[in-house]
Amino acid sequence: MKIQSARDLESARREGLIKIQPGRPRIGVGTSSCGIAVGGMALYERMKKIIQDEYPDISLVKTGCIGFCKEEPIVSVSIPGKSLVLLHKVQPDDAERIISLAMEGRVPQELALCKIQDWDHITGSLVHGGGFDGIKDYDEIPFFANQKKIILRNCGLINPEDIMEYIGTGGYFPAFKAITSMEPEAVIEEVKRSGLRGRGGAGFPAGIKWEITKKASGEEKYIVCNADEGDPGAYMNRNEMESDPHMLLEGMLIGAYAMGVHEGLIYIRAEYPLAIERLMVALDQARSLGLLGKNILNSGFDFDIQIATGAGAFVCGESTALAASIEGKTGRPRIRPPRLTEKGVFGRPTDLNNVETWCNVPVIIAKGASWFSSVGAKGNTGTKVFSLVGKVDNVGMVEVPLGTSLNTIIFDIGNGGAQGRRVKAVQTGGPSGGCIPVRLFDTPVDYESLNKVGTMMGSGGLVVMDEDTNMADIARYFISFASGESCGKCVPCREGLKHMLLILNRLIAGKGTVKDLNLLKELSETVQKTSLCGLGQTAPNPVLTTMQYFKEEYDELLEA
Amino acid sequence: MPVNGRKRMVTITINKNQYLAEEGEIFLLTAMRLKIDIPHLCYEKALDPYGSCRLCMVEVVTCGKTEMTPACTIKVHNGLEILTDTPEVIKHRNILFELYLAEAPKSEVIKEMAAKYGVTKTRFLKKIVHDDPLLGKCILCGLCVRVCSEIMGTCAINFINRGPFTVVNTPFYEHNPDCAGCAACARVCPTNAIVFEDTEKDRVMRSWSGTTVPMMTCSSCNKPFAPEKLMHEIQSRLDPQINEDIRNMCPECRRRYISRREMKIPIT
Repeated sequence: MKIQSARDLESARREGLIKIQPGRPRIGVGTSSCGIAVGGMALYERMKKIIQDEYPDISLVKTGCIGFCKEEPIVSVSIPGKSLVLLHKVQPDDAERIISLAMEGRVPQELALCKIQDWDHITGSLVHGGGFDGIKDYDEIPFFANQKKIILRNCGLINPEDIMEYIGTGGYFPAFKAITSMEPEAVIEEVKRSGLRGRGGAGFPAGIKWEITKKASGEEKYIVCNADEGDPGAYMNRNEMESDPHMLLEGMLIGAYAMGVHEGLIYIRAEYPLAIERLMVALDQARSLGLLGKNILNSGFDFDIQIATGAGAFVCGESTALAASIEGKTGRPRIRPPRLTEKGVFGRPTDLNNVETWCNVPVIIAKGASWFSSVGAKGNTGTKVFSLVGKVDNVGMVEVPLGTSLNTIIFDIGNGGAQGRRVKAVQTGGPSGGCIPVRLFDTPVDYESLNKVGTMMGSGGLVVMDEDTNMADIARYFISFASGESCGKCVPCREGLKHMLLILNRLIAGKGTVKDLNLLKELSETVQKTSLCGLGQTAPNPVLTTMQYFKEEYDELLEA
Repeated sequence: MPVNGRKRMVTITINKNQYLAEEGEIFLLTAMRLKIDIPHLCYEKALDPYGSCRLCMVEVVTCGKTEMTPACTIKVHNGLEILTDTPEVIKHRNILFELYLAEAPKSEVIKEMAAKYGVTKTRFLKKIVHDDPLLGKCILCGLCVRVCSEIMGTCAINFINRGPFTVVNTPFYEHNPDCAGCAACARVCPTNAIVFEDTEKDRVMRSWSGTTVPMMTCSSCNKPFAPEKLMHEIQSRLDPQINEDIRNMCPECRRRYISRREMKIPIT
């Protein structure tokens, strides 16, 4: 079946809704990488067998990740007319009981994390129902209560391998609206007015980039999704693609229509096999419904997406190195200008946006620019997903409006240090970012405020450090990472980072002197100022910020 | 924009002095022409600017703000303002020289160049590679790799590994039959790191895993004069084909042959 009209789409939505609320018990098992890592797949297989053998009346699906990684494997149980219940830390041995209780319209109380009565999918909403009085409400769990889910609106709740469920929650309606009732220029205008900024870290206004690409000369152009997430400790994009691949495809489809581009590419690292697999499934399903390919939605517009896998080089997240990698060349950056919008993949004008930037597009079209810009702060609209990791109690993926303070994220959502330890600092922006001490945790998380304290937004990794963490050692870790990932093209990055690492090794071995410390600072500044691409220019940030905020820890390392 | 085929001249400011310069010209070349000294290692006029050596970093002034940019990547435009000798530029350049002195400790070119800018010592650990085919002189500017692929179309050598482990050599460090023995790599190398020698019959690219290219012998004097593969490559591009008699002659014999023919001296 190809979707060609509003009626087709509406009947697909009804079909999808029946899959989500089938009128009989439905069990969803969290099978994103984080769930699988703690036995999610084994649990799913066990349940599948039991249901096949004994309870054919139960619907079982794989779902993505709802973000509370600490509590995985998370299982959702939906009983018709009752609240959706999330069960946590479920073991394969619990399978039998969960299923038999579900048949009776009940859930195992001691495994229950919380219940969801209704849910705003932004592009649509679902009412599940009441009941289960003894179980806490979703909003009563601090980890969830302080979040605002716009990008993660479907994650963990729908089956990422079934396009109908995405359509069931209102998916592809924004694309339909854009393609059938809006001029391309109006779509760009809407994205511009929303204030959406690039979620890859640099924060360039997405709408303006689209406009530049649209105006660039040349008939054949590309749009590319940067899914080469490489920061240590960051896995937002992986989860987004594993849990809800269609929001990315739909975002790209709307972007392609707005820019008049017919070819899309997703550049994804080969280390994300599950995300690649789910994207492949999603692409096939979208093609079979006529949402990708020729004459999309009977509008005469053609667009398709291909997947290009990278070999997992951090530097390939840099736009020009990414383009080189897609072309089959070594992933080495080149000098800019020309920018990709002028001369990108295979020399054609190319618009490159991060996974999360694309994921925001459908909601902007669905709810409008004013709605989107009412979330977040002035000049920093919308939400941002962070992966909250390190020595924090509640490890997981969190989504908050931009401008939320680090305090809220780390203490209210994250519940402070793991095992009651005292939090000392947080690293934002991965190897390109810096360490912020706890006394500056009232800093709002937005592009400018983070720059002001010497770090950056980056793609969204938040690595928490506690009192046991040695900051010089952290700096050494990041420099060792950056040096190993340096492409080797320019001397400050190739040689400078190597010598920074040697000096840090010397300091940490207790053989360093004041001279070493001064040289480290001097060299850091030169690497920052003279490197060719962003990798080198930002790599010294962890050293510079830890030297600024935790100078005493470096002084303690000096030779007596 | 070119007016009547001629380049437009615009006014630019370098170190607070005004100059006329050709619009669109690479600023590094403008500065060289104006005898304003900017050190550089990776620029070669036959190739596009590459920006890897970072020595030509200067400060571009825009709206009162300055930004460090390599001079080889700046295109001249009206009102361009550049500072080439600020304390900031000098400070970073000196560190870069120290990095080069540590990376290529055997290079006289680097030592002389650094000394010219007052850097005679490095505080960084010197890189020592035993049996380095590039003699401890390579700075990985990439000119050899680029001239081989972009100009000669051969691609006999390339970068191996990445980051601080990057080296240049033939694939798998093996004799590479693709090498035409043109030695353009050695010619463009700014630090004279690439070595080759001509023996009785062959040209041996010592730096490139001992890649050996047979020499063509002169059809007249029987002496080897150029790598065979390179000669075939050149001859295949000649149009119209040159006189069969002198095709395989060394330059000296060819000169003699043509002179005699012009002077109508019988050719023996």
